[in-house]
Amino acid sequence: MKKIILLLLISVAIFSACEKDDFCTQNPVTSKLIITFYDETNRETSKNVQFLSVWSGTKDTIAQYTSVTLDSIAIPLNSLTSETVYTLKKNATGGAKIDNEIATFTIKYNTTEEYVSRSCGFKVLFNNVEFSSSASSWITDFTPTTITNLNNQTTAHVQIFH
Amino acid sequence: MYKYFISICLIFVFAESFSQEQKKDTIINIEKDSTIFKTNYGLRLGIDISKPIKASFDGTYSGFEIVGDYRIKKNLYLAAEVGYEEEISDEDYTNSTSKGSYIRLGVNYNAYKNWLDMNNEIFVGYRYGFSLFDQTLNNYTPNVSDAENGNYFLADLNSATITSSNLNAHWSEFMLGIKAETLKNFYVSFSVSYKVLMSVKEPEDFKTLFSPGFNRIFETNTGFGFNYTLTYLIPFSKK
Repeated sequence: MKKIILLLLISVAIFSACEKDDFCTQNPVTSKLIITFYDETNRETSKNVQFLSVWSGTKDTIAQYTSVTLDSIAIPLNSLTSETVYTLKKNATGGAKIDNEIATFTIKYNTTEEYVSRSCGFKVLFNNVEFSSSASSWITDFTPTTITNLNNQTTAHVQIFH
Repeated sequence: MYKYFISICLIFVFAESFSQEQKKDTIINIEKDSTIFKTNYGLRLGIDISKPIKASFDGTYSGFEIVGDYRIKKNLYLAAEVGYEEEISDEDYTNSTSKGSYIRLGVNYNAYKNWLDMNNEIFVGYRYGFSLFDQTLNNYTPNVSDAENGNYFLADLNSATITSSNLNAHWSEFMLGIKAETLKNFYVSFSVSYKVLMSVKEPEDFKTLFSPGFNRIFETNTGFGFNYTLTYLIPFSKK
């Protein structure tokens, strides 16, 4: 009888301790928008954006994209609305505040949800994605203007020329 | 899947060894013991008390199970369990409730050789399990976590409940346990089981996370269970 109780206690301990068996290793679960920057005249060559800062509306600047020099960025989209407007700031002439160039990049989409797994939960799918940018800004052109979804996280979704 | 086949094969692996052999020329006449101890045959009925105990500790669980077995041969029992369970699976991004009833049918083989007229068991068993249940997605938060960008946009908790009815699951179960006769015809038993899901009807746009009788369904479609039962033997005959 004592042995049985002991066995019972041990197994209760084992079963309750092993509750968390899986962690969400998929990163990111919800797709991000990947933008690459190219030269406006020599369209095959990627070109760094100097002192790039990225933010949306009245929110703070994204910490990892604050005055950085990069040729590609991966930014999240707002799943609660049907469009996200990003402001992209660059400064090609040395970082003085007066030389800041501002451009807005707007992404419109429909959202749906899809179940992934116990640990990852539901992901948001962005479908029928449309891009547009502010006229007469440092973004001279971009391609493509629409894509069906953002599922692929290994290649760029949109190329921006500057 | 292959690793289970291998594991199942290993169940039947055993080792045999001899330490001594009786000398051939020393045949001793042993008088056969004429006393035969008869044991009771009959229907054993009871409940699984681990479930009410678990329910009192764990507020997200409630369950009840009736167990029974019927002795058909010296070492062989037909066994069945029926029960009802309800469990709230609270995960990082989802919260869902599964509730329903189940039945498990199978056999127990007693591998223990009793002394005299004792009736204890160390048994192995197989069960086929079937459950009918509903699963309700109580609420969920879409996973938009993005640590790299400091979770720039957040998602709202979506608490529109979605219920999927008439879900079912079939599984196979391998058991190992002990039974002890503590009072006359009264047994205490403890067993553990390893379960392999054969099929499950998944809800639309979601997954079955818990099936009554099966417990938590792990990513590999396997599960574990344990029983602690109190049973009473209704003797039909002595053999």
